[in-house]
Amino acid sequence: MSGLFRKSIRTRLTLLYVSLLTAALLLYGAGTSAFFLRNLREQVDETLSQDVETVETLLSVGPDGRVRVQAQDTDEDEGGRLLEVWSQDGSLLYRSPELWGRILGAAPDGHEGIQGARLADGTRVRIVNRMHRIGTRPVVVRLAVSEERLWQEFWEMVSVLSIGLPVAVALVGLTGYAVARRALRPLDSMARRAEQITAERLSERLNIENPGDELGHLGRVINETLARLERSFEQLRRFTADASHELRTPLTAIRSVGEVALQRSGDVNYYRDIVGSMLEEVNRLTRLVDSLLTMSRADAGRIPLQRAEVPVLDLAKESAGLLEVLAEEKNQKLTVEGDPMVAVRGDRVILRQALVNLIDNAVKYSPSRGNIFVRVGSNDGDAVVEVQDSGPGIPPEHRSKVFERFYRLDKARSREDGGTGLGLSIAEWAVGAHGGRIELDCGTEPGCIFRIRLPKFTTEENTIPPEQSRKT
Amino acid sequence: MRILVVEDEPKVAKALQEGLEAENYEVTLAQTGEDGFFLASSQAFDLIVLDWMLPGRDGLEVLSTLRKRGMQTPVLVLTAKDAIEERVSGLDAGADDYLVKPFAFPELTARVRALLRRGKAEAAPSQRIDGLEMDLVARTVTRDGHRIDLTTREFELLEFLLRNKGRVVSREMLARDVWKESERATPIDNVIDVHVARLRRKIDDQFERKLVHTVRGVGFTVREAED
Repeated sequence: MSGLFRKSIRTRLTLLYVSLLTAALLLYGAGTSAFFLRNLREQVDETLSQDVETVETLLSVGPDGRVRVQAQDTDEDEGGRLLEVWSQDGSLLYRSPELWGRILGAAPDGHEGIQGARLADGTRVRIVNRMHRIGTRPVVVRLAVSEERLWQEFWEMVSVLSIGLPVAVALVGLTGYAVARRALRPLDSMARRAEQITAERLSERLNIENPGDELGHLGRVINETLARLERSFEQLRRFTADASHELRTPLTAIRSVGEVALQRSGDVNYYRDIVGSMLEEVNRLTRLVDSLLTMSRADAGRIPLQRAEVPVLDLAKESAGLLEVLAEEKNQKLTVEGDPMVAVRGDRVILRQALVNLIDNAVKYSPSRGNIFVRVGSNDGDAVVEVQDSGPGIPPEHRSKVFERFYRLDKARSREDGGTGLGLSIAEWAVGAHGGRIELDCGTEPGCIFRIRLPKFTTEENTIPPEQSRKT
Repeated sequence: MRILVVEDEPKVAKALQEGLEAENYEVTLAQTGEDGFFLASSQAFDLIVLDWMLPGRDGLEVLSTLRKRGMQTPVLVLTAKDAIEERVSGLDAGADDYLVKPFAFPELTARVRALLRRGKAEAAPSQRIDGLEMDLVARTVTRDGHRIDLTTREFELLEFLLRNKGRVVSREMLARDVWKESERATPIDNVIDVHVARLRRKIDDQFERKLVHTVRGVGFTVREAED
């Protein structure tokens, strides 16, 4: 069976059609034949009943006390009448000569009616038993008629049916196969084309003959998958290139600082300074690798979330409190305000990372004496945290890219600040892992709002945010 | 104090040996898991520093075999893996502590000290260095008799520096032990720098002899000024 199922779809479809059709036709044929046979029998039985009445009128008892059958017109008597007359006590009174000594079964048991039987030589007959009186003498008249004609007609019909059936099945099978092949032909061409699409040629797409049908739908789905694949490959390619670049920068610094120091000679303090400078770059590398590891584990969905109820304002205050000194150093005003009742269900550590990264960013890009607002509220059933800076804003062409890894508006400056270029990506992942998103809202005013939206946690309803925990 | 270091990478092994010897420990080196296993089961050590990834028998195998044989010596596992489940399997195998590579050397010595001190009495309720006095119970700080007001964070920072006086503490150690920040990727190095700068302003600015020093590329240290 398993071999059958491994065959091509069109073979399987054809086999399915053919077997269904065969079954249907067989059933139909059997039904028709049975109906036909019953009709023929009814006709025979009707004739038999009429005949037995006729025969009864012809019966008489002769002077010798024997039962006789009056002669009748021969043209009415086709095939010979098979007649027995029995007395009530079970002795045979008459048996027609056409029976050639064959008997129509045992002595009657007093029942009237029609039944089928087989004579000793195998001839099928219909037999009728009837109570009758000849004069005053009760007898049983038993008349039989051969079914040979009936069966002949029946088998003729069956043979017509059984010649027609295989022909019909073969016709349907061949047509079905051709139709299936034709219908599935676009699939073949799609498969051939898909085979040619490799990682290097992800920009290619399948041709879709009819976008409306099932195959067109499949083609569209494959094309969309290819588009997503192409995007992730592109992202991966850029990520690898960017990561190499980011790693190269501190490596270059370490190398040149070391090489230059070896060429010069200096006192202990000079060398201490050199080694210290090299270690600073090593720290930068370490931090970068840590962030990259976090991202790759997040991508692989290997960071399990430990969910609990998290009061958002509380978390915002904690995150801001951690970074408050940085704002103070720049004489910035960092304000946290909002609704203390808003809560989400999530992993506090990971959500905090998102907030810390956003606030850190706001502090970094706001000028001295600037204002930074962190507002907590709810909107459309979401818990919302806004982080508003008073920085120079983000030019529209950069807005869609700020969450990309290693994307920097001002490359030199951000690296000087010790940023890895991954802060916003990590924040985006952290929020996404909780089924939320970060919106960037830059108006005409200077400064931007990063708005975190998370499914709100309400204790009364005990609603749990959708488990969309992993970004892939 | 005798320490067995099982580490296959020669540069790292040599640095560990020299660094620990500089802290006055007696260090024995083993380059493979087999050697480490042989040494650990034939000699007595006060502590074992064990690399996880070793050629031949890996560190965790060695460790779990040693533990099954009833060895009680504290073990510090070094690993380049830091996923949580991997850490857990390290601790399951019988590690007392683990350190993720690349680590700062002061962090390693701090862990080593902590493991060797384990079970012994905690530090004194007060710390002092060169006229600076810190009362950990009353939570007051004075220098040359002048009272210095510190925020909670500054107090904890100074306490940590004083407990490690004479030694360098890295930013990672401060992040973990003072700020209780478990994620290495959280950007708080700047925060630490600002707090150290403020602390320095409060306890050093008015005084000739400076106590808080920056060790470039490594971290900070509190020690008596060399004249």
